[in-house]
Amino acid sequence: MHGWFRRYKVFLSCGFFLALSVFLATLNASSPYRVDPVGVLFLEAMLPLQIGVTVASRGVEQVWDSYFGLWSAHRDNDLLRQRVGELEQLAQRAVEVNLANQRLQQLLDLQAKIESPTVAARVIGRGPALWVNRIVLDKGTQQNMAKDMVALVAEGIVGRVVSTSAHTAQVLLASDPSSGIDALVQRTRDRGIVVGTGNGRGTLKYIPDGTDVRVGDSVVASGLDEIFPKGHPIGSVVRIGMKDRGMFEDVEVRLHVEFAKLEEVLVITGRPQ
Amino acid sequence: MLSLPSWKKFWSSPADPNRLANELSGVPVSARPLGIVVLSGVSAILLQTSLFPHSPFVPDFVLILCVYIGIYHRSVGGAAAAFFLGYILDTCSGAPVGMHACAMSTVFAAVAAISGSLWLNNPPAVLGLILLAVGLKTAVFLVFSTFGQLATVLQPVIARYVMWDAAVAMLLTPIVFIVLRRREPESG
Repeated sequence: MHGWFRRYKVFLSCGFFLALSVFLATLNASSPYRVDPVGVLFLEAMLPLQIGVTVASRGVEQVWDSYFGLWSAHRDNDLLRQRVGELEQLAQRAVEVNLANQRLQQLLDLQAKIESPTVAARVIGRGPALWVNRIVLDKGTQQNMAKDMVALVAEGIVGRVVSTSAHTAQVLLASDPSSGIDALVQRTRDRGIVVGTGNGRGTLKYIPDGTDVRVGDSVVASGLDEIFPKGHPIGSVVRIGMKDRGMFEDVEVRLHVEFAKLEEVLVITGRPQ
Repeated sequence: MLSLPSWKKFWSSPADPNRLANELSGVPVSARPLGIVVLSGVSAILLQTSLFPHSPFVPDFVLILCVYIGIYHRSVGGAAAAFFLGYILDTCSGAPVGMHACAMSTVFAAVAAISGSLWLNNPPAVLGLILLAVGLKTAVFLVFSTFGQLATVLQPVIARYVMWDAAVAMLLTPIVFIVLRRREPESG
């Protein structure tokens, strides 16, 4: 008998501990409170260790979180930088669209003022050098463009069409020395010819000496050349030259149109009124 | 005389041809002190109750320890150690009293019975024991869950729980066994 116990003591002890655990479980299941008197002692003994581990783990956790927080912040920073770049591009595009909208609105307003049929065209090319005062438009004979048609913007006269192809047209700018626009000083009604000087300015020629032309006077198209629409602005007087060189005054005109910044123009395809 | 590769020797049962004979003749299978195992058990309980509860899944080190005890400490002391580890785990974790104690005692008994009959000197056999242990533990939990409110919490997640529990336990077993085999003196 003793030998049997010794032989199976491991399994007997297993049975005992299993029975003990089931007993404890049954005892607790039938009680509304936790019945665990020995466990309380274990809990008290483990308490300092549990507190130590908890405090240490929280410390490690904080360091870990800080590290990953930094890493995450770094990643977020990269993402936000990228996003800022994208948004800046979008904002820039929006500004461009807004500006184009304003320009087109001005062209529309201008179109409404002009009774003749018009075509809006985009500037697709410019003269390769400063002394070439020509632009190329994206509309040609297919869109009823022809020579001597006038290109305008709201600020003033741009020039006239000098050659066309099926889908393009070249415009000689008003700032070109070979360009001439029959014009008059709006206030005094003195008549002359505005000839470009190639630098965004022009000269109002054939203004008789002794007229009351002043700096700041507006110069508009007279319409007598039957090309440029009457009354459309050209520029304003910025300087009146010496009067001792003959019978005409030398009047310098600053053209209203900024030729270097042209993007869209309106071309009058019918006869100007 | 069998010689095992060093990596295998660390976490599998040593070849002991006299084991069955010793057991039949009443000689204690293992005379190793349980001190290191108990200390490891306390550490495991601390890890499970104080450190890992912040993580999404708590690895069951105590279960692995009980398998280890069942293989290397098949004695009354081993049975008591398994029971008390489970019991302290119940106490410290707030689980129903007796649940882990019963589960760990069951695991110990099963592993002790198997390791008494089989020669567990290879890693796959140990991992198989771990799988069995996870199954037994889950079965005990399911039985316990029928007593109280635990069923509503445990039963819906039991399949996922078992899968993760088994996977993590199998991953951790080699580490735990290697650490314990290095710490424990060869004797018995």
